[in-house]
Amino acid sequence: MKQNCFVDVRDVYKDFGSDGPAGGAIRVIDGVSMTIDEGEFIVYLGPSGCGKTTLMRIVGGLETASAGEVSLAGEIVTGPDRRKGMVFQAYTSFPWLTVLENIRFGTRYRDDIGKKEKDDIARHYLELVGLKDYGDFYVNRISGGMRQRVAIARTLAAAPEILLMDEPFGALDAQTRDFLQEQLLRICRLERKAAIFVTHDVEEAVFLADRVIMFSARPATIVEEIHVTNELGKERTEETKESEVFFHLRNHVRDLMRKQSGLKG
Amino acid sequence: MAISSTSSKTSRRAKLAAALLSYRGRTEPRTDLILGLAAFIIFLGIWYVIVLTGLVSARFLPLPGDVIGTLFRLLGEASFLNDVWISVARVWGAFFLSAVMAVPIGIWMSSYRIVGSLLEPVIDFIRYLPVPALVPLLIIWFGIGEGSKIAVLWMGTFFQLVLLVADDAKRIPREFIETGYTLGAKPSQITKHIVLPAMLPSLVDNLRITLGWCWTWIIVAEIVAANSGIGHYIWSMRRFLKTPEVMAGILAIGIIGLLTDQAIRVWHRRHFKYL
Repeated sequence: MKQNCFVDVRDVYKDFGSDGPAGGAIRVIDGVSMTIDEGEFIVYLGPSGCGKTTLMRIVGGLETASAGEVSLAGEIVTGPDRRKGMVFQAYTSFPWLTVLENIRFGTRYRDDIGKKEKDDIARHYLELVGLKDYGDFYVNRISGGMRQRVAIARTLAAAPEILLMDEPFGALDAQTRDFLQEQLLRICRLERKAAIFVTHDVEEAVFLADRVIMFSARPATIVEEIHVTNELGKERTEETKESEVFFHLRNHVRDLMRKQSGLKG
Repeated sequence: MAISSTSSKTSRRAKLAAALLSYRGRTEPRTDLILGLAAFIIFLGIWYVIVLTGLVSARFLPLPGDVIGTLFRLLGEASFLNDVWISVARVWGAFFLSAVMAVPIGIWMSSYRIVGSLLEPVIDFIRYLPVPALVPLLIIWFGIGEGSKIAVLWMGTFFQLVLLVADDAKRIPREFIETGYTLGAKPSQITKHIVLPAMLPSLVDNLRITLGWCWTWIIVAEIVAANSGIGHYIWSMRRFLKTPEVMAGILAIGIIGLLTDQAIRVWHRRHFKYL
């Protein structure tokens, strides 16, 4: 067993419809164990409805495991808190606040810093996600891609230890998606934050991940772990997607995905 | 030149007609205003015709002008203004009482399963009790003073409002609440900083609608047992068959309602600019 890993998922089971692993409930996660190193970008990939989001929510403390446990930096996860930042697919930036106020909201419950510092942090992340000119806009006036950047900035402003993202770019168009993927990687490298990113898009998974965790169809088990960084390196640019290594990896993962979705032909 | 302008005029007319008659068609605000005024004028016109042709005696249906004239005269009379003031005070007092109870209880109902499960069946039941039927009971309990008026209005609004508030609170996306948790908020902070601001626009709308209902119940309460208020005024004028006064009283309520409603709407638009 690996010692001193940052996130440790140990033998997690999840059944919906009952609290124990026995009984007539639906099993969604079937004994998953995995670890995440500090600063590592993990992508959970799997067919729709396979339970990958549920597993991430268990890591975030928003769901409880029916069996098994998750620890973060040596502490068992018992519920949601500021250490586990979350970005959702649905737009969660608050419509009654401006872009800057939304980002500042991320610092609202921090007692480690003062008012002045909170303002500075809000401005810092506003600029980091490239929304400097939109600080005074209400979020209903900006595009979906911008709203997701606001959500990411707000989460980062709370200074979480891990960033959990549930298909945050799922509702966006292809160009915006490509752009935001690069932005996200740049920011995560800069912040040296561990992250779990849930998606069912193969190309997105390979492009973003240090390691792709490929899940089976429901109930989720780990099919394979693909160590992308070993082959692609940490640096990713637009050209990465054109490289041969990327093609090779993507095709491999795509085949795995097809098999799991029952589309292998 | 002349021909083309005529033809462009007819084509514009055809377009307007098409827009007005098409299913969910679009019109300009000006057109809507003209149509609204036209309907009003036609309504008044029919009224005049009915009275002037003697179809209905002016004793039962006074001319619109007489009603408005009566209203203006009444507005100069201290006793009438006092009645108006008393009714307004009762409505606002009872409405305020209803709201300060319904808003927190409604939010609790949506926040904690146990509160919702306990209260919802009871409230749902009481909500269906017809308020006018409760008036005699409320008079037995609270007498014919202010107590029974407030009680009638409260019965008529609280139980509706509390469910509306609970629904508004429940409609807030789950992700908003979860975002709050992952940013480090405690439940009380989530209620104060996320739930309340998120539901505020629809809450204000529901309060505005409930305030309108208060005017229905106040008249019921004042007609049955009161010696002041607009309802009492209308009811006592009826005894002398003073139809213009009766109608002026009704008109006064309508105008007060309309003005309050519009004032709240304007405030709503200004305050919730982000909508």
